[in-house]
Amino acid sequence: MLTLQPSVETATLAFTGVVRHLHITARAFLPMRAMEEIKLIAGKGIEGDRYMIGREQGFYSDRPEDGRQVTLFEIETLEALKRDHKIDLGPEEHRRNVTVEGVPLNHLVGRRFWLGETLLEATRLSIPCRHIEEITGKVIFDPLINRSGLNCRILEGGTVRIGDLVRSL
Amino acid sequence: MRRHSAILTRVTAIEEVGEGVKRFTLQDPEGWELPPARPGAHLDLFLPGGLIRTYSLCGPPHAKDRYVIAVKREVEGRGGSMLLHDQVKCGDEMHVSLPRGGVPLGAGFHLFVAGGIGVTPFLSAASALLAQGRSDFRLHVMSRGTPPLADQIAPLVASGLAQVHDTTRIARPRLADMLAGAPEGASAACCGPVPMLEDFSSLTDGWPAERVHLELFVPPPLVPDPDARAYTLVLAKSGLEIEVPAGASMADALSAAGADVHVSCGGGICGTCAVTYLEGTPLHRDRCLSPTERGHKLMPCVAQSAGERLVLEL
Repeated sequence: MLTLQPSVETATLAFTGVVRHLHITARAFLPMRAMEEIKLIAGKGIEGDRYMIGREQGFYSDRPEDGRQVTLFEIETLEALKRDHKIDLGPEEHRRNVTVEGVPLNHLVGRRFWLGETLLEATRLSIPCRHIEEITGKVIFDPLINRSGLNCRILEGGTVRIGDLVRSL
Repeated sequence: MRRHSAILTRVTAIEEVGEGVKRFTLQDPEGWELPPARPGAHLDLFLPGGLIRTYSLCGPPHAKDRYVIAVKREVEGRGGSMLLHDQVKCGDEMHVSLPRGGVPLGAGFHLFVAGGIGVTPFLSAASALLAQGRSDFRLHVMSRGTPPLADQIAPLVASGLAQVHDTTRIARPRLADMLAGAPEGASAACCGPVPMLEDFSSLTDGWPAERVHLELFVPPPLVPDPDARAYTLVLAKSGLEIEVPAGASMADALSAAGADVHVSCGGGICGTCAVTYLEGTPLHRDRCLSPTERGHKLMPCVAQSAGERLVLEL
């Protein structure tokens, strides 16, 4: 006999996305540097990046945060800024480390997922800050509310390259 | 120690470039690119003892890994230039602001008029124009004797793009003649001592505003807020009273007074800097507090005061 009851218990979040851009920078305010690959260290951060635990050179490093070892951003948000607000924002300007395509970042808070060969745990949504308007000279604070990326902890480290897959567990 | 909201640099070169003038090169300690600057942009230097001094960039803006400034030692000044000349050495760390402002370089001819050390922003501007393949500009430098930064001015003079007027040997040329000699539709910019700026300003009074530029070393104006008013911020626990100018940031005023308030987003959405107020009527302007919370909390990163006095539980 057919049932119309939705099988909620079997609902999953399945996705396969791609790493499109990688960026790091050594210190607050400095331009982000495009990388072909970055090395993620479990429990610490990205080699050479300002928020690597032990380096603490980021704008928010005076408030250390275990769950901010690597940050991700949707390329679809850059497309939406262009489409809906006529704002050209480059992947080097949003100041997150990994720009991905096809990954529903806002759904991942509290979940684990694969970024290339590394395993991440999403800790919280990133919050836009006025600081980014000061650096870019673009009025993007409001348009980035609720889609400013994702903060993650690194559970299993490794090398992440442009073109790597981003997969649900 | 890291200074919040500042760029860490290291002094990598100090050169004598004229009588009482030194040129300082500032770079990231590891050679990373620095935030981009417009030609002739201003840079605040955060000096020991809380001194903040502003200088124009004089290097080519396309040299992305360095900020270059030139400083004249002013014995009668307020101490910043003497500190830079007498105490700063190669290898020292220096915190600086993001570069701001700069010399507008739109299409058409540019006439640059400088007095002495006021040549700095125009050397940067000239360098930017040359990098674009443009030579539609002329730089006039008034100087008593050899001008500062003569090594940067000399190639421009040799190319017929700059002229030095040594006022110890010849009469000071008239600004009016220089302006009258500029081609139709030219832009004009001036940097130098106050009398020169005033003279230039009055002579260009009838020019279209977009074609006149004065280097005044003032911060960019605040966006006008019709509701802004000055008020007194009272910190109940410490008894401190802070006068907040109209339109100024409450968070900045608290920070300057040494109050322990952490600002994160700076735009009233994250809730990090929330403080309790005890008396007064805030203008909230945040997007994170509920109507109930607004009865006793405010976000100092965006809030103002509707009245003359606001008492915080700090």
